Amino acid sequence: MNALQRIAVILGYEWRRALAKKWVLVLIVLSLTFETLPFIVFSQTSGTLLTAEIKKTMWVVGVLIGQSVFVHLIAIMVGGGSMSEEYEQGTADVLLSKPITKVEYITGKFLGGFLLLSFVEVITTIAGVILAYGFFGVQRDIHFVPLIFVAVVYSMLLFFSLTFMFSEVLRRSTLAMMMSFGIFMVSQIVGTYLLFRPEQFYRDVSQLLPTWSATALPTSLAADLMLLPGVGLITTPIGNVASAAIIIAVYTVIFVLIAYVRFVKSDVTKKTG
Amino acid sequence: MSHPVIMVSNLTKHYGNFKALDSVSFTVDKGWVYGYLGPNGAGKTTTIRTLLGLLKPDQGEVQIAGVNPEKDPVRALQIVGYAPELPTLQTFFTAEQLLDFMGKMFGFSAQERKERIKQLLDLVGLKGWGDKKIGKYSKGMVQRLSVALALIGDPMVLIMDEPTIGIDPEATAHFRNLFTSLSKEGKTVFISSHLLDEVQRICTHVGMINRGRMVFDGLIEQVLEAFTQQWVIEVELEGVTKEIVSSLKKLDYVEDVNVEGNKIRIELKEKKDLRGQISSEIFKRKGVLLSLNLHKITLEDAYLRALKEGQ
Repeated sequence: MNALQRIAVILGYEWRRALAKKWVLVLIVLSLTFETLPFIVFSQTSGTLLTAEIKKTMWVVGVLIGQSVFVHLIAIMVGGGSMSEEYEQGTADVLLSKPITKVEYITGKFLGGFLLLSFVEVITTIAGVILAYGFFGVQRDIHFVPLIFVAVVYSMLLFFSLTFMFSEVLRRSTLAMMMSFGIFMVSQIVGTYLLFRPEQFYRDVSQLLPTWSATALPTSLAADLMLLPGVGLITTPIGNVASAAIIIAVYTVIFVLIAYVRFVKSDVTKKTG
Repeated sequence: MSHPVIMVSNLTKHYGNFKALDSVSFTVDKGWVYGYLGPNGAGKTTTIRTLLGLLKPDQGEVQIAGVNPEKDPVRALQIVGYAPELPTLQTFFTAEQLLDFMGKMFGFSAQERKERIKQLLDLVGLKGWGDKKIGKYSKGMVQRLSVALALIGDPMVLIMDEPTIGIDPEATAHFRNLFTSLSKEGKTVFISSHLLDEVQRICTHVGMINRGRMVFDGLIEQVLEAFTQQWVIEVELEGVTKEIVSSLKKLDYVEDVNVEGNKIRIELKEKKDLRGQISSEIFKRKGVLLSLNLHKITLEDAYLRALKEGQ
């Protein structure tokens, strides 16, 4: 059995573990519900609010509507329990006393959680496109769906890896989720405040905060690709796609490295829950 | 070059300022049933978790069949089966699913896993329970499943941390037989326990640890020999006075005197029947003797003595 196979075994385990928790499923259902609501609202007011041009691109709303908050919340919830629940429940000993390296284990855990998030996003993306067709008829630029999907999934990396890091560093799932959620909220509020300051310096600083890149990347990409007139309706201010992608990558690498170093260099703690 | 199956050398481990293990060394060879004996908090679980690479030693080294489990866990742990103390298992799995998942980690094919799971569920007495969620299991059933999980990889070494805690006497007896038969198959069994009786019944070798220090390591017979050089006289008096106790302590042939209520326990320095001398000493101090018995000390006495000497 090689390293990749061992990682795959842990990955499968992580899926199973996450899906066994009912609240993850509840969150997916909520996310789908949240996605449906704007379509109902827009379809009722379509004569006054939406032009024919915008109606043809409503799939973007479907794909991005949950992007500002919901996908990051799901990322926080999946990442928060990933490492810490094994300590809390005392199952880390059972897993890590099997023939597997710590690096393989944590890689399987990280990829398992992240692929689960990607799967959730597949469902919500497909649902968004179907809703757009159902409510507003034939859509244009539909070939951009995979690219926007990748951008959304990529943007989830930031808060997923942040919570994953807290999950390993603190080894308490609730605390890890609260820390990440706190950072998300503070970053969102401070970022918005700074963005509306007249000085360029503050606007630049706001773009370095975690929420800007995580929420702006997909919308900015959609705007760039399609020159969308109504993209401003969706969520966050439009910025530079490349800089958002780089900021996400930098944050993710830092968070993942901290989690790896902490895990590899420290003892496996006994049951903490 | 053949290595001992388990090698622990000069192992030291701290938790903050607390020294959990202090230069612990021992080896375990193939086919041994090694009892790792010590009171609660002595350092047994810390030793085991270091052996499995779950804890990093501050000093010293551990090896399993010549391989350091921290440096090469895949090779070292491929031959190890571990059942933790009071195990907590993934409650969302059924026993079959969990065994299947663990079997995958050892690289068994689907067919091999299927056969092995059936065999193991029978072996640990969980036949008919394989498709039930672990969350519905009793404590004893979880313990049984934990032993099955330890055996899933067909290990050369079984490491059991207090395997009979929380299970009924029937299951305890079942596990004792199982461990003995596994050792007869050439497997090495390492059992940590604070139960003397358990160790005495099934182990060929014993290591005693107290407050993080090894106080004895050898054959079971050697423990008895090492700590039963003296005989013990137990006397019961109508009333124990300080004068009687201090006079007994002053006798040349007395090693130690312990008082418990109206009973005095006198450990002798030599294997001699000194009941006459002891009784006359008591009479001299106006003691009223109710009973007087001579006997060799038991393994329990030896164990307690070893712990006392280790402090």
